[in-house]
Amino acid sequence: MNVFIVDDEPLARERLVAMLAQIDDVVVVGEAGNGRDALDAIARLRPDVVLLDIRMPVMDGLEVARHLGTLETPPAMVFCTAYEDHALAAFEANAVDYLVKPVRSERLRSALAKARRWTGEHARSMQSALEPGRKRTHLCARVRGSLVLVPVAEIDYLLAEDKYVVVHHAKGEVLIEEPLKALEDEFEGRFVRIHRNCLVALAKLAGLTRAPDGRLLANVEGVTAELEVSRRNLPVLRKLVRTL
Amino acid sequence: MKPETSSTRVAQSEISVPTWLPHFCSAPTLFAVMIVAELVALVVVLEPGMESRPWLSRLGVVSVYVEWLALLNAVILCSLRRQLDPLRARSGFLLAWVISVLVTALASAVVCRMDQALDLHLTVAPASTAHFVFGNAAICALIAAALLRYLFVLEQWRERVRAVSKARFEALQARIRPHFLFNSMNTIASLIRTRPAEAERTVEDLADLFRAALGADDALGTLGEELDLIERYLHIEQLRLGDRLRIEMDVVDLPRDMSVPRLLLQPLVENAVYHGIQPRADGGTVSVSGRRLPGAIEIVVRNPLPPDAAPSRNGVSLANTRARIEYHFGTRGELRVEPGPETYTVNVRLPETPAQ
Repeated sequence: MNVFIVDDEPLARERLVAMLAQIDDVVVVGEAGNGRDALDAIARLRPDVVLLDIRMPVMDGLEVARHLGTLETPPAMVFCTAYEDHALAAFEANAVDYLVKPVRSERLRSALAKARRWTGEHARSMQSALEPGRKRTHLCARVRGSLVLVPVAEIDYLLAEDKYVVVHHAKGEVLIEEPLKALEDEFEGRFVRIHRNCLVALAKLAGLTRAPDGRLLANVEGVTAELEVSRRNLPVLRKLVRTL
Repeated sequence: MKPETSSTRVAQSEISVPTWLPHFCSAPTLFAVMIVAELVALVVVLEPGMESRPWLSRLGVVSVYVEWLALLNAVILCSLRRQLDPLRARSGFLLAWVISVLVTALASAVVCRMDQALDLHLTVAPASTAHFVFGNAAICALIAAALLRYLFVLEQWRERVRAVSKARFEALQARIRPHFLFNSMNTIASLIRTRPAEAERTVEDLADLFRAALGADDALGTLGEELDLIERYLHIEQLRLGDRLRIEMDVVDLPRDMSVPRLLLQPLVENAVYHGIQPRADGGTVSVSGRRLPGAIEIVVRNPLPPDAAPSRNGVSLANTRARIEYHFGTRGELRVEPGPETYTVNVRLPETPAQ
């Protein structure tokens, strides 16, 4: 059984490694000190189990879990926490297990035993348990089996195409399979809708211009593509632009 | 200033809005209402004059009637709770009172009419119906006003007791962050295998910190002890966070024998680590510097801002420190927060001779 450890404290990782070394047929395939690094490595190494700390810089454990849920075969996730987190309550039903620090050896063993019976279905249902009221810091796209993370702060605009949403960001574009409406709701206040199929980052919205053919276009910093404003979204947009 | 607003926000959300309308559907309140109703019935029966029937049977009839009225009012106020509660205390109070008076007047009129129609002679003759209804309404008006007020005051008192104990608990939690305790335990558990000597020292540091934290609220220590505690705290966090936490301490100028309330400054450093270092992937530097001014000392704690400089700064802890400075040093002590573009600075000034 391959295990991956995610914790921002080196000593906490060290201890888990030492404890796992005493359990038969368990191999620690890697470790990471924050959520972003963890996602990269996990998509590459495909461990069976991930021991996941909740409180971490850059991206916390709950968000890591949510992104891992989008993998084709998500690993079993066991949460570790120093103290009860409220956020965990919603999770308990769906996570494999959760351990409190300092982790006890027998608890670790029983968590791994539970993890053997884990299926990807659980991971996906866990994803929905996390949904309400939580904003992700990154959007996550699956590109050829690995996970590509886009910090939400770097997104310029989101364009819906068929059943995908194209995320245009500072360093390029990726496809994600999420409804535009859900993204609009989750990141309320960060994006503004300019068209039925388009959300623009409010912080990057520079103004409106009228094209020669009479269409109204939104100017977004660092973006050359023409983003059309629909008549329906114009009044709200006008008001926003005036306060820029 | 950011911390001010966040601390007031916390304060507001902590004190849940006291509901001015008593919970009429709760058993204790219903019981109180019924007791009061029974007392009213007794008063009515004991009133001298016009004894047309034995007092016990009169008490029975009056009791049933008064209890029925009281419960009717309670049920109606209870079911109107959702409509009444959003109102302001004063107008809501008045409205609840008017409602109960009207309900009583109406109910007694109905009872009177029924009694006359059935010819039971339990109430009064048709000629004095108006008098009966008015009397009932007046009694209800007096009793309802007193009872509503009493239940309101009682509820408020309970609310205050709850708020005080919650505030106490939170003050204690601010002094000992549970995360810190359990993370430190985890650090020690890890060190025991590989570096027993470090583990031993960490246990000693932790013991010193907790001895101070669990001590009396307003115990005085010396500035030297406080600076040692800060160093012990930072030592533990350094082990835990590794090279993510860098420390700059420059406090040699400070008078170590000056007396200060215990754990006055350590929470500021803890805040700096908690909000400034922990959320950053690459960590940062916490700097503690102190210098002597004429007749006073100045201590400055500085930390980098977290990546998404969210205003979720622990306002409770800062407000707590500020309050303690004011309590011990009066207006001559001061805590200033200077949120810069990249660093967050807390500046504390204390007079060398304390007020108390």
